[in-house]
Amino acid sequence: MAQDRQAPLELLADRVKRYGATALDVVKEHADYRTQILQLAAVDMVKTYRGSALGWLWAVIKPSVTIFVYWFAFSVGLRAAGAVNGFPFFLWLVAGIVPWFYMQEMLTQGSTTLKRYDYLVTKIRFPVSTISTFVSLSKLYVHTALLMIVVVLFILFGYPVDIYFLQLPVYIVLMFMFFTLWSMFASLLSAMSKDFANVVNSFVTAVFWVSGIMWDVNSINNPLLAKLLLFNPVTFIATGYRNVFIYKRWFFQDTFALFAFAVMLAGMAGLALYTFHRLRRDIADVL
Amino acid sequence: MRSDDIAIEFKNVSKRYRLYRSDKHRFLGIFSNRIAFKEVYANSHLSFTVKRGESVAIIGSNGAGKSTMLKMITGVVFPTTGQVTVDGRVSAMLELTAGFDPEFTGRENVHLRGQLWGLDKDEVADLERAVVEFADIGDYIDQPMRTYSSGMKARVGFAISASINPEILVVDEALSVGDKNFRQKCNDKIREIMDKEHVTVIFVTHSSGAAEAICDRGLVLERGRLVFDGPIAAAVDYYEGPHDRTVTAAGAG
Repeated sequence: MAQDRQAPLELLADRVKRYGATALDVVKEHADYRTQILQLAAVDMVKTYRGSALGWLWAVIKPSVTIFVYWFAFSVGLRAAGAVNGFPFFLWLVAGIVPWFYMQEMLTQGSTTLKRYDYLVTKIRFPVSTISTFVSLSKLYVHTALLMIVVVLFILFGYPVDIYFLQLPVYIVLMFMFFTLWSMFASLLSAMSKDFANVVNSFVTAVFWVSGIMWDVNSINNPLLAKLLLFNPVTFIATGYRNVFIYKRWFFQDTFALFAFAVMLAGMAGLALYTFHRLRRDIADVL
Repeated sequence: MRSDDIAIEFKNVSKRYRLYRSDKHRFLGIFSNRIAFKEVYANSHLSFTVKRGESVAIIGSNGAGKSTMLKMITGVVFPTTGQVTVDGRVSAMLELTAGFDPEFTGRENVHLRGQLWGLDKDEVADLERAVVEFADIGDYIDQPMRTYSSGMKARVGFAISASINPEILVVDEALSVGDKNFRQKCNDKIREIMDKEHVTVIFVTHSSGAAEAICDRGLVLERGRLVFDGPIAAAVDYYEGPHDRTVTAAGAG
């Protein structure tokens, strides 16, 4: 066939053009549907907490119970909970685990967004690429509310807001970007295969324990391992929040960590674009 | 013919479904072109144009490819090859009970739908008023839709589709909504929409009587192919008459 005989360079240029067009479509869909995205994020949030007597309180109760259990196990049970950088273990735990709650929801529920909103794909004409965005945004609203509570908690413990808090928006945006892209990628794949959703669910607990949310990544002695761990976006974000609340460091101080995260973010964007490009037209056929 | 006179245009449109042996094979098929699959053409080489204001019946037996074609008109399914152009706001009365969020009330679902279409606040309020009045399901409008009977869901679904001032109306004749009175009300409403100038109607059916009553033109589908396109009476004759089906069957295989 004529196509096979095309020069590799031409083939590459053609591919770049087609993927570029897809990326442009995604941006355009987001711009065209920006109002709907904001409205649907609110709708998704209402939907999550609707139908129970305590409603919105669950957004606070669930994380509080988890935090209490870990605090109890580590400080009372294991007695492995000393102060970190002058902050009580409890606050150190809270600072790292609150972003994890968002990341955990995005890892699990984020990978099933298309199944949850299948009627937007198969029954109504609606841009598929925006579905993960509004779900992620809805989770981010809840996360931001929790974060406010954390700030108040620090103030109550006698640690006032300082200049380092200014970088919270940076970490929030980076976290949102990475996990929205993840959700776009993962929800397409788990719509195609149940196995994928199961794989994700069974690895979430593992991700939690290896990502340094319950232990201090700065305590790793092996320098190579310490560098490798920085390529884990969950570690980067959780450590970033602790840099703000506990360690009092700027995000640009550790350039290698920033570089590692940028690599992973670009990789995730590539994966998301690749799967979206390949599956966007087929996804309505299988849901 | 000026291009803005055209409501729907199919240019050599084919829709291929890939059937894999299992979910696992389908999953692997995303990444590799070497995974074996069977190809089924739901539509092949469809070409036709529908002018603004025309009412066209799509006639064909089960599996002729009517649903796939309609899904392409409504824009939820994409052609494998060829080009589908649709110009105008499409309202599809296909699966009326589908497309709702079961956790939300009827009223909230109306709002949601209005927002999805990008209506502004006033337009959504108008839509809500029209739907509540037409669906006529009383206090249930403020109950979660998971508690609805299929008849109630269909009432709300029909009311929404009928209330958005469609420019292109797609009606599935198989839709039987609620009791006799409500069905009459629906038929009247469809006629009212059709009587408006420049509303294009696509009417899907596998029987011929209803098609002749409503439409001027008929398209007959058979095994994914367009086998007849012409005046409604002739189309019905073609569909019901004895003609050599084996030729097209062999062609599709």
